[in-house]
Amino acid sequence: MAGSQTALREANRATVVDSIRRYGGLTQVELASTTGLSAATVSNIVRELQAAGEVDVRATIHNGRRAMLVTMVHRTGLAAGVHVGTRHMSITLTDSAQQVLVEQALPLPHEHRADTSLDRAALLIVELLARVGAELPELLGIGIGLPAPVDAATGTVSVPGILRGWDDAPVAQVMSKRLGVPVFVDNDANLGALAESRLGASRHFQDSVYVRASHGTGAGVSLARNLHRGFAGTAGEIGHVQVDAQGHVCLCGSRGCLNTVVGAPALIEVLRASRGSLTLRDIVALANDGDPGCRQVVEDAGATIGAVVAGLAIAVNPQCVVVGGELAETGELLIGPMREAIRRRVPLNHIAPLEVVAAELGPNAEAMGAVLLALENTRTTLPTFARPDGD
Amino acid sequence: MALDVEWTTTATQGRPSPGGPPLLALRKVTKRFGAVEALTDADLTVHAHEVVALVGDNGAGKSTLAKIISGVLQPDSGTVEIDGDPVSSPNPAAAHALGVSTVFQDLALCENLSVAANIFLGRELRASKRSPMDIDGMELASAQILRDLTITVPSVRTPVRELSGGQRQAVAIARTLTTRPRILVLDEPTAALSVVQTAEVLMLVERLREMGLGVVIISHNLADLRAVSDRIEVLRHGRNNGSFDAATSAPEEIIGAIAGATRAVRPAWATR
Repeated sequence: MAGSQTALREANRATVVDSIRRYGGLTQVELASTTGLSAATVSNIVRELQAAGEVDVRATIHNGRRAMLVTMVHRTGLAAGVHVGTRHMSITLTDSAQQVLVEQALPLPHEHRADTSLDRAALLIVELLARVGAELPELLGIGIGLPAPVDAATGTVSVPGILRGWDDAPVAQVMSKRLGVPVFVDNDANLGALAESRLGASRHFQDSVYVRASHGTGAGVSLARNLHRGFAGTAGEIGHVQVDAQGHVCLCGSRGCLNTVVGAPALIEVLRASRGSLTLRDIVALANDGDPGCRQVVEDAGATIGAVVAGLAIAVNPQCVVVGGELAETGELLIGPMREAIRRRVPLNHIAPLEVVAAELGPNAEAMGAVLLALENTRTTLPTFARPDGD
Repeated sequence: MALDVEWTTTATQGRPSPGGPPLLALRKVTKRFGAVEALTDADLTVHAHEVVALVGDNGAGKSTLAKIISGVLQPDSGTVEIDGDPVSSPNPAAAHALGVSTVFQDLALCENLSVAANIFLGRELRASKRSPMDIDGMELASAQILRDLTITVPSVRTPVRELSGGQRQAVAIARTLTTRPRILVLDEPTAALSVVQTAEVLMLVERLREMGLGVVIISHNLADLRAVSDRIEVLRHGRNNGSFDAATSAPEEIIGAIAGATRAVRPAWATR
């Protein structure tokens, strides 16, 4: 039983670190009640962690009493990643070592407008910073992912009509002016590709494609481990490849795009007669629960997306296709038929067969990619981080 | 009384077919306060797995409608139906028994009591009628409920006065769920909350919908309502003035209906 005492202390330490991560920052008293450990144990563990340089402890006032706020040490500044989706926004705050400090999601209305959503994003970032006990000057940069092609140089949507309400918004300029921090904007599928190729399923591959199947479908292409955005940021916009010449007219103006067949409105419409009014999340949840109609719709979507991804795979010859986005939460239901459609069309390669796998970072891939975008861009402009107040 | 904490599994039962009777239906409800006609022939339906937003100007009758649903007020005429059967709720306890819970704007939490004590306030768990409160059992059940709702509260032993506005709202919602309601009425759940707290409450409303509850939500913030609701019902001077699908309608149309710039396509008096 010699090891049990040490094992217990290790376990307690892990519980304390987990709790701090989960809430961003907690006072020692709160830590004691959250973990169920005694105040003395928490105090000891916090002192150990502080000595090891893992946590920061600072005096604060909590409910009118003096308290010690414990937060994870932020290694040389923080980065914020914002993923603005069609119906949700998610924000991830990490330190420069990409350690996630706090995350928050916010539902967004249908056809949300740039002014309201950016205002909320700015307020959320400031509040989340306060929650982890950090200040705005510690923020190195902000990455923002949008579900539309983005001109990375100016940080604006490059193709009008796809993301209504955001067409002329100078996203990067508005945010950087407001928070005084460098802001980098990119397409969300590109950011998913960045995150998965750095930290996720395609990290061992030189060339990979990330497919984001959500309200709309898009792809990000990573060649020789670098994101390939194209001249106006429209590389990999597979949602606007024509799959039905007689189909509906798409937001982009052309006809029968992939998005008009497998986009959320199309899937919802197909199910309306038999299942009533559903949302994309409902379809995913019902498909996972075994609803035959929803499974059918997801499987068919997988095959249709797969046929288009096959074309992209022939053009860029990736080693791996990573599938993410909300629809990918159905797992093999979407990815199985997709893999089959891709393998059937892509010339068989005996040296390295094309892999089609689920995203490892799951729903956080895009926000994490936004963090990486901010960190990688600020690293080149700011080789060493100096605190503005000089310490 | 042993509390069975598997309430989420019962709530996530399969959804009814679209043709079935709505969970809650108010038909031609009228309520007068002297010369004030708070509601005139107002209709409202709520299905399971549905979030219905009630919007309107001040004095449009939103709160009166909510109070009729929760049994605080009785309609002068019109019927309230649950599962297609007409019911009468003479008081909030009767509405509660029918599966309707309400979180009012003031939340009615006890500042000095812990999260667990607030969640079980008035319904404390006891092994038998005369035995002391089962504090451990209540704390465990509370922790389970909060975990199912993915609410982050540091501890169920924390006194409510130490919580943020968003966490208080979450505790007030969690409290209503101990009686396993099927319909939840939320009155201004995001009023006076910061953006992060609003985000937490809105994510919670989405979670309630996923659990299969019918949710009626009243708010002044149209962006929040459009973000979480399935359907938006506009009230104007106590009458229905339009019903909008939140997934497709534009805010201009809804604001037009609130302000009276547009009339409901088929106003209640024309269908009589």
